[in-house]
Amino acid sequence: MNLANTRRTFLRNGLGTLGMFALGSLLDAETPAKDKWQGVVHPLHYPQKAKRVIFLYQAGGPSHLETFDFKPKLLEMSGKGMPESFTTGQQIAQLQGKALNCFGPQYGFKKFGKSGQEICELFPHIGSVADDVCLLKSMWTEQINHDPAHTIMNTGMILPGRPSFGSWVLYGLGAETDNLPGYVVLMSTGKGGQMQPIAARQWSAGFLPSKFQGVKFNSVGSPVLYIDTPKGLSSDLQKASIDAVNALNKEEYSALKDPEILTRVSQYEMAFKMQASVPDLVDMSKEPQSMLDMYGAKPGDGSFASNCLLARRLAERGVRFIQLYHRDWDHHSGIKANIPIKAEETDKATAALITDLKQRGMLDDTIVIWGGEFGRTPMSQGDGRDHHIKGFSFMVAGGGFKGGLTYGATDELGYAAVENPIGVHDFHATLLYLMGIDHKRLTVKYQGQDARLTFTSGEVVKPILA
Amino acid sequence: MTRAHLLKSLPLLALATSLSAAPPPVDFNRQIRPIMSDTCFRCHGPDKSSRMMGMRLDLREEAIKPNATGHIPIVPGDPDHSEIIKRIFEPNPAKAMPPLMAHKTLTQAQKETIRRWVAEGAVYQGHWAYEPVKRPPVPELTNSSQLINPIDAFIQDRLAKENLTPSPEADRRTLIRRVTFDLTGLPSTPDEVEAFVRDKSPDAYEKVVDRLLKSPAYAEEQARHWLDAVRYADTAGFHGDNRFPAWPYRDYVLRAFRDDMPFDQFTREQLAGDLLPNPTIDQKIASAYNRLNRVSAEGGLQPKEYIAKYGADRVRTLSAVWLGSTLGCAECHDHKFDPFKSKDFYSMKAFFADIKETGLVSDRGANAWGSKLTLPTPDQQKRLADLDSQIAAAKAELATKLPASAEWEKTILSQHASGDLAWIYQRPISATSQNGAELAIYYEKPLDSNFYLSNSNGSTLMTEHKPGLGQVVVSGPNPDNETYTVTFKPGAGTWTALGLEVEQDESLPGNRLARGSDRFVLTELEASAGKSKLNFSLATEGDATGQMPENSPMTVIDGDSKTGWGISFGEARSPFLALRLTQPLTTTAETIITVRLHHDSTYRKATIGRFRLALSKSLYSWPENAESGVKLKARQGDDGVLTTAAERGLPIKVEEALKVSPDKRTDAQKKLIADHFTWSNPALTDLNVKIAQLETARGILQSQIPEVMITEATEPREVRILPRANWMDDTNEIVQPAVPAFLAKLDTGGRRATRLDLANWLVSPANPLTPRAFVNRQWRQFFGVGLSKAIEDLGSQGEWPTHPELLDWLAAEFVQPTWQAEGTHPWDVRHLLRTIVMSHTYRQSSLPDPQLDDKDPDDRLLARQKPFRVDAEVVHDTELAISGLLVDRFGGPSVRPLEPEGYLAAMNFPKREYSASHGADLYRRGLYTEWQRTFLHPSLLNFDAPTREECVVNRVGSNTPLQALDLLNDPIFVEAARNFAQRILQNGGHKIDQQINWAFEQAVNRPPTAREEQILADLHQQSLTTFKESPASAKQFTSIGESPVTAKFKPVDLAAMTTVARVILNMHETITRN
Repeated sequence: MNLANTRRTFLRNGLGTLGMFALGSLLDAETPAKDKWQGVVHPLHYPQKAKRVIFLYQAGGPSHLETFDFKPKLLEMSGKGMPESFTTGQQIAQLQGKALNCFGPQYGFKKFGKSGQEICELFPHIGSVADDVCLLKSMWTEQINHDPAHTIMNTGMILPGRPSFGSWVLYGLGAETDNLPGYVVLMSTGKGGQMQPIAARQWSAGFLPSKFQGVKFNSVGSPVLYIDTPKGLSSDLQKASIDAVNALNKEEYSALKDPEILTRVSQYEMAFKMQASVPDLVDMSKEPQSMLDMYGAKPGDGSFASNCLLARRLAERGVRFIQLYHRDWDHHSGIKANIPIKAEETDKATAALITDLKQRGMLDDTIVIWGGEFGRTPMSQGDGRDHHIKGFSFMVAGGGFKGGLTYGATDELGYAAVENPIGVHDFHATLLYLMGIDHKRLTVKYQGQDARLTFTSGEVVKPILA
Repeated sequence: MTRAHLLKSLPLLALATSLSAAPPPVDFNRQIRPIMSDTCFRCHGPDKSSRMMGMRLDLREEAIKPNATGHIPIVPGDPDHSEIIKRIFEPNPAKAMPPLMAHKTLTQAQKETIRRWVAEGAVYQGHWAYEPVKRPPVPELTNSSQLINPIDAFIQDRLAKENLTPSPEADRRTLIRRVTFDLTGLPSTPDEVEAFVRDKSPDAYEKVVDRLLKSPAYAEEQARHWLDAVRYADTAGFHGDNRFPAWPYRDYVLRAFRDDMPFDQFTREQLAGDLLPNPTIDQKIASAYNRLNRVSAEGGLQPKEYIAKYGADRVRTLSAVWLGSTLGCAECHDHKFDPFKSKDFYSMKAFFADIKETGLVSDRGANAWGSKLTLPTPDQQKRLADLDSQIAAAKAELATKLPASAEWEKTILSQHASGDLAWIYQRPISATSQNGAELAIYYEKPLDSNFYLSNSNGSTLMTEHKPGLGQVVVSGPNPDNETYTVTFKPGAGTWTALGLEVEQDESLPGNRLARGSDRFVLTELEASAGKSKLNFSLATEGDATGQMPENSPMTVIDGDSKTGWGISFGEARSPFLALRLTQPLTTTAETIITVRLHHDSTYRKATIGRFRLALSKSLYSWPENAESGVKLKARQGDDGVLTTAAERGLPIKVEEALKVSPDKRTDAQKKLIADHFTWSNPALTDLNVKIAQLETARGILQSQIPEVMITEATEPREVRILPRANWMDDTNEIVQPAVPAFLAKLDTGGRRATRLDLANWLVSPANPLTPRAFVNRQWRQFFGVGLSKAIEDLGSQGEWPTHPELLDWLAAEFVQPTWQAEGTHPWDVRHLLRTIVMSHTYRQSSLPDPQLDDKDPDDRLLARQKPFRVDAEVVHDTELAISGLLVDRFGGPSVRPLEPEGYLAAMNFPKREYSASHGADLYRRGLYTEWQRTFLHPSLLNFDAPTREECVVNRVGSNTPLQALDLLNDPIFVEAARNFAQRILQNGGHKIDQQINWAFEQAVNRPPTAREEQILADLHQQSLTTFKESPASAKQFTSIGESPVTAKFKPVDLAAMTTVARVILNMHETITRN
């Protein structure tokens, strides 16, 4: 790196705690060059299978027992007391101090595809792509309340201040676009479940510079905060103003030679590019009706389906990490009535996204994830289920995952992951592996540690890789 | 090794800048410890659980003993027989150290250094940060003309050794701008600059510094840094992230800096203000420090787990702020690099075990947030007492008229059985608005509704499609304030009360009831029958769950357009307001009743989204929130239509209570019946009205009295060491409060140590870390980086300070001033900062210097100053100050500047929309912005302000396109540009070149160059041309924001100048301190 040219850039810029290697690369990208951020992992630690991730985050804690994990034994025992051997000494959320009774699956399951994967009958569209998806039935986590559980699912730790998964990936690999943020967050709200809040911390860059944070797109107002030119100002004058700012900044640079000034110039240029590209990105009118129908999307409705379609458009444009939160999966009550609503909201669009990516040849290098922060108890909470962390399910597809595979299992009552359990860190390690990164080597010095996404554990789950 | 020896040794720079021919002996702390810490200690360090081969290298006596396989790691003086030397030089990668799995490599130079150190006798040193602070001698320099104070001696002594010379003092404009930014967080004004430039007296700069140090803005700026460290915020941080009462603590911090409170006192009061003898109000407020951690109100949390989380958070914060240490790492295991044991972590946590608290911290209602202190003025206190005694007297009088007779009870039940209590929903004829909202009437027409159905396990979102039966649905334009007018024809009859049912719907962002804000606020309700105004004696809501004290029903008939009825929390209900008519109203078939619903509160968009109107015939009809009707769903008809409560006119709970025999009723049931009896008994109306008015007045008064969370001590909870931080594991030992064992042992004579003992130790000579950590952190404010870069970690993995002697001199000087010490006191923050900014080192120029770029690219040797972008709040304040919008007001409740629509959409409990402040509160300093932890104001976040969910002592700084978009397009900055333009047109002369010159001086304290002037003049010309073609656009562009638009300027001129002003406000230089 050109030290003379990078002087001062990091002095105040909070990179004081980054390791030198990281710093060097960071500075390269912070320097005036128009080149986009290339990431710090050079060369890649492993051959890269996946270039990008689309995480369909089902927030609130979807029941594994009504989605991907069929438990006939639980059905048999429905209404009977949950054997104490399962529950003694285990964490309990709202059922603390209450009777623990088995609560059978509320819907039937079917076998789908050549692989014969067992999926709840409410998800026939996902069933139709069963041979492309891999079902992980042995997930577990350690946090039983939404907020900390989201935090560990996103950052690998429960303490605030850590970079989220998307930030790590963007920091490690950069993005293929400089007209759009490299890490985009979308959010939709449906019906049929309690809407839990989701803190902006979930897409924070933590101790990394904020250029790595997720940028949340909004369904009301401007798609990106402050992306709209002020009312009454023509785009020509906006352009002329930005040009003037940059001309003045270049004047200052010629006097002071502070490279930070040139970085500012390039950020204004990128801001202008974003102003131009975001409206085009969110304009669904160019999508054929058949495409809208396949997803079940109505432009402008802010639905999960529309977000899935938008996710594909973001992926096409080189965004590295796209996270779609879909809320209202918190079924403490009325699970029978509400699961079909959630299924209807997500099933078709999820399958459409996988199909669409496949048709475009993008599924091979795009990871699609479907899952939430935890699962739900096999025990009843009235006519619902409580939070559950010992076993739940994820669905993954594309990007180097083996299609048509079911991996891991919970016990016969769907309580604990007993066969090939996959912890959050294992899951993260596996995703990073597919993206070409050794999770133990993508580190930043923070509070005296070589901080990493997987904290102190995590094993790549090799059997689920194609 | 002695301290003196240590001080003589040359500090290390990351980039070696000089190589001398005869190297001095290897210095353990400077040269060996950083290498070993990074590459060896993880497996051969303090944490015995991860120690490999029983080998420990951080202690000499351990390192020279044979390990598990009989090899001796270090044989002092004999590298060839030392196992570590053999292993680090081992060519076979499978056997070499550090092992492959560690992904750590040693350079050849590092290996050689270790070998040489062993050869020289493997002399260990204690870690520098834990050694006592002794004031080092100030180097005596003979040949410097740029020596102002001891700081310069230390800096220049080192520079001389590197063959570098300090830079000259910066020019006066730069200097005053720099020091004003650094001390007050504001840019210097042209007048201040001129005065300084003209002042030829030798103490001109000193006068500036002393003026700044005495300004309230100094306290605001310094408080801001402290608030980051103690993670002060206005909201709880978990789950609903609701507002908690903390701002009086922020004001305490402001006063402490303004009044130059000694830092030792500041420490004691925050950690243990409540434990001081006869604590003052301020000392109690200070103890809010212990309550600033994130807390959760999530229903299903496990209290013990969260008690553990809160305690751990306190230890991490204390450790970072006072000790500059990462003690938090020892929550799971002994520290891997520093001598902190896991036991130290939990012993430290035990100091806080006496804080009265619960795991689940209620975030609503009277008991929200646990221990609180109210802060009434003497007048408020007196009024409160008056009201209380009047309320008590009126209630005592009422009590003499209770309980209801058995006969009355029977009447109620029989009228209920015959359906006479039911409220009759009215079919509106018209529904209109004053400010543009669109009102649609649904009667037969089916309506989609989405609402929560409550049950014992929480609530579930339900969907309905059924006739609206009189529902009015508001959509379209959403003005801040609005009045709805509805007319209906009730037909012939006699009526006793008017009802307003506010319908819950998921589509409504304001607690599912209002079109904005976190509540609806109905400020006044007026009605007339034909031409005659209807008078109401009493307003009630029956069940007032979710109501803030100031939002009581009586406010809608009090004639005061600022008070109002509203519901600000509590999900899943549709509140029902009942208004008792003073006289029963008799209508004919043709009578038209007109109802006006006024929403004139200061909460923006706190307007009702959906509602129905009803009348009752019976005196006995009582309001019931429609929610209970929804609960009746189990009894719904086959058509799927839900019954609503108001159709009953008798709350289910009251009905249940009435059916219990009087001697078996609970107190709550007795109260329900008494309330219903009071409402429905005309003989009690006057008394009832009186009580309601008094309680309303009390509620409004109460809402004006500030509250603050405080620390209340109670019987200490048991604190155990939790293996791997597992809160469910109760098997390990119980610990007592203690400071880290390797640092000190508190002598309390056997008494359990308290938070006060802890605070006393933190600021005692026995603890070297507090002054070092504090001084290092302060240094960063003035040079962009600490003397040790890792502000949060002075430990083994941190950075060896560039100038350890200076750091220690400053630490000693902070604790006991000696330089220009007149009028100072021990632990004098202002003195410390004054000493720093008075130094030549601080005053140096930051101009480019190729030689320095080459030799010291990071400026760690401080041969010059350096530019950096100002912090988020300072960006905001600078833009507003230059534009003339900034409102200078010290302290007070937090404010809500403008924020983009929908920004809080991901929040819930309650579901809410942001409601910006009005007037002056839109233009306060960034410090006062309400700190919403899970969704910090986006402009602050964009410029790297921390969310303060966790302690932050080292803000990240970045340069992103989102910052550019923010400065360009955020309405507050567009408004600032317009105001700046008004000032330019007003004061900047008449010609464009004069105006640009004037504006430049305002923004960056210098005139523009010819080229700069040309760039802006061209933009001005282009803007004029464009806006002349489209004057309507000019008007639109210049009417952004609430501040007044000066009428004397033509919109086209103002708009064109606004583009110029906006560009100046966007310059890098404007937000850079140079």
